[in-house]
Amino acid sequence: MTLLIKSAKLIEKGSALNGKTVDILIENGTITEIKSKIAAAKDVRVFEAKGLHVSIGWFDMQVNFCDPGYEHKEDLLNGTKAAAHSGFTGVAVTSNTNPPLHSKSEIEYVINKTQRELVDVYPIGAVSKNRDGKDMAELYDMHLSGAIAFSDDKRAVADAGLLLRALQYTKNFGSVIITHCDEKSISLDGKMNESKTSVSLGLKGIPALAEELMVARNIYLAEYTGGKIHISNVSTKRSVELIRAAKAKKIKITASVNAYNLNNDDSALADFDTNFKLNPPLREKADMAALQRGLTDGTIDVITSDHRPEDIENKQVEFDHAANGMIGLETLFALAYANKGKLKLQDLIEKITIQPRKILGIKIPKIAKGEKANITLFNPDLNWTLEEKKIFSRSKNSPYLGGKLKGKALAVYHNGKFLVC
Amino acid sequence: MNKLSTKHLLGIKNLTKQDIELILATADNFKEVINRPIKKVPSLRDITIANLFFENSTRTKLSFELAEKRLSADVINFSASGSSVKKGETLIDTVNNILAMKVDMVVMRHANAGAASFLAKHVNAKIINAGDGAHEHPTQALLDAYSIKQKLGTIKGKKVAIIGDILHSRVALSNIFCLQKLGAEVLVCGPTTLIPRYICALGVKVETNLRTALEWCDVANMLRIQIERQDIKYFPSLREYTMLYGVNKSLLDSIKKEIVIMHPGPINRGVEITSDVADSKQAIILEQVENGVAVRMAVLYLLAGRN
Repeated sequence: MTLLIKSAKLIEKGSALNGKTVDILIENGTITEIKSKIAAAKDVRVFEAKGLHVSIGWFDMQVNFCDPGYEHKEDLLNGTKAAAHSGFTGVAVTSNTNPPLHSKSEIEYVINKTQRELVDVYPIGAVSKNRDGKDMAELYDMHLSGAIAFSDDKRAVADAGLLLRALQYTKNFGSVIITHCDEKSISLDGKMNESKTSVSLGLKGIPALAEELMVARNIYLAEYTGGKIHISNVSTKRSVELIRAAKAKKIKITASVNAYNLNNDDSALADFDTNFKLNPPLREKADMAALQRGLTDGTIDVITSDHRPEDIENKQVEFDHAANGMIGLETLFALAYANKGKLKLQDLIEKITIQPRKILGIKIPKIAKGEKANITLFNPDLNWTLEEKKIFSRSKNSPYLGGKLKGKALAVYHNGKFLVC
Repeated sequence: MNKLSTKHLLGIKNLTKQDIELILATADNFKEVINRPIKKVPSLRDITIANLFFENSTRTKLSFELAEKRLSADVINFSASGSSVKKGETLIDTVNNILAMKVDMVVMRHANAGAASFLAKHVNAKIINAGDGAHEHPTQALLDAYSIKQKLGTIKGKKVAIIGDILHSRVALSNIFCLQKLGAEVLVCGPTTLIPRYICALGVKVETNLRTALEWCDVANMLRIQIERQDIKYFPSLREYTMLYGVNKSLLDSIKKEIVIMHPGPINRGVEITSDVADSKQAIILEQVENGVAVRMAVLYLLAGRN
């Protein structure tokens, strides 16, 4: 198929055409021409993109597709559809499946199952066997099979020695270890951020300290080992400060924030809405401002959705019993854009395109003649409503259902496939 | 004004000062009723009330049941311990079953914060929260306010110390909201491990020294140490807790003024208060129980909207 995209404004930091309105001709998956005007030949599909922006295909490095094991919530094929319809051409999937992605077999399963899709799916292997934080999983074997990084997902590695050895061990083949930071002996079975709101709701609080202690510890481990560590789910002001200071000391760490932590503070829980029960929990306004500053000055490299499909049985229950998480692919861009502060659009786009790929060591696509086409067309100013029936995700656990949002992807092209969202 | 501003009683948080005053004034009438030779009135005839107790309760359940019966309501009772429900039927299914039974009002106690508001969202009946986790226990706070008012004549300007396990206590939270709305000053006292870190944001004073707290207050509301709610150790032993926060007669006598002692029950005699304190004339613990029936009658009557 030959596709001609007409009049899209290119957003690609570093490109000579950045900010220019261009026509892009794509033949059999490859960009064969890109310039200000291309005449449409016969039998070419023309996509009128006037008023739209075009960027490298979006990438979300923290997505849970629940497959294998929890396919009633989501599966890999339907998940990739949801991702594509939300503007993403690549995702990294978390290891918290059943069985967990903790050996070659599960890694290969994910890769084999998704290799014909528009969206590239990169499995993240578990650091420890069964994600139980005891013994190191076969990291090298998983790396050879295609594990793009390692993480025990939301189970923070409590054993500092295990994380230290995993960092040393993976240096050999250059993999990054993604760490969620949560000191369990402090957070215990907390249900929300510890704050004035948690007091008045009678819910057990999770102190910001629980995250910050482990962020600090992991920075020390990164410094000591020289291994590559990525701190995911940054949610507090002090965490941002710790990471900023570590980066100033040239310690090799990167960091990401979830769009929901940028968009809401914990007052959203006043009526016990379980769709806002999240891990990390929603924090306070001062934390949101600090996260935004962290994005602007480069302390935080990546924005993730932390897409977590949950079925109604896990959400329409008492708050204490509800599962953590919301689906997030659908709303990532709108939430990030609404909270970008002083961040320029091109820098925001960088945090959902180039940066996550760079951290994971994935080849970064380019929008240029001769390159494979891997693009997202979007309108940052489009007003839209998140309607349940239009959500492709199998689970609909979003607190933003019925909400008015601004900014949306409208089409993606990748792996020779074109999809209008 | 003879109507509440709210359809349910989910927490004191959702009530206005006028609501609270209306409930207390209505309770006065019912207190007179329950001291008559014939204690029953027909106010809630034909109204069906389900008492759902998902967590153990003796006095609150009895008090509600008595209040309902004295108002001539039809009463059904459901009790289940948290664990057996957890294994089987979900709260939403229980709720749907109740719906099918055409119940008008539901009184619910549940181990989880927010359970009453969850119910209110999903069921077309009037919900009265009889305690949800460490969140609220509104009728307890109302009966405490009623009892203070009865003893001291007014609540405005009075100083109330809530002493004990504040962290796990729904009584503390409801009392704070209620007393503040009525113009009292509230102080919480207990070991720092059992005081929520951000409680000052609610406008209460925090004091860790028991004697200082007692010297400050007009009323001391002693909370029970809820060992069953404590997942970890917050203090080394009950013995040591009593050394620091147990109220005994000699301590009370050494304080220059006579303060009122309250307790929501059940009392751990010899832990938070000694028997000679519990049984002294300073203690209004049994008055609280009596007032509880009148206050609950007032709440049921006002929410039923028959007035």
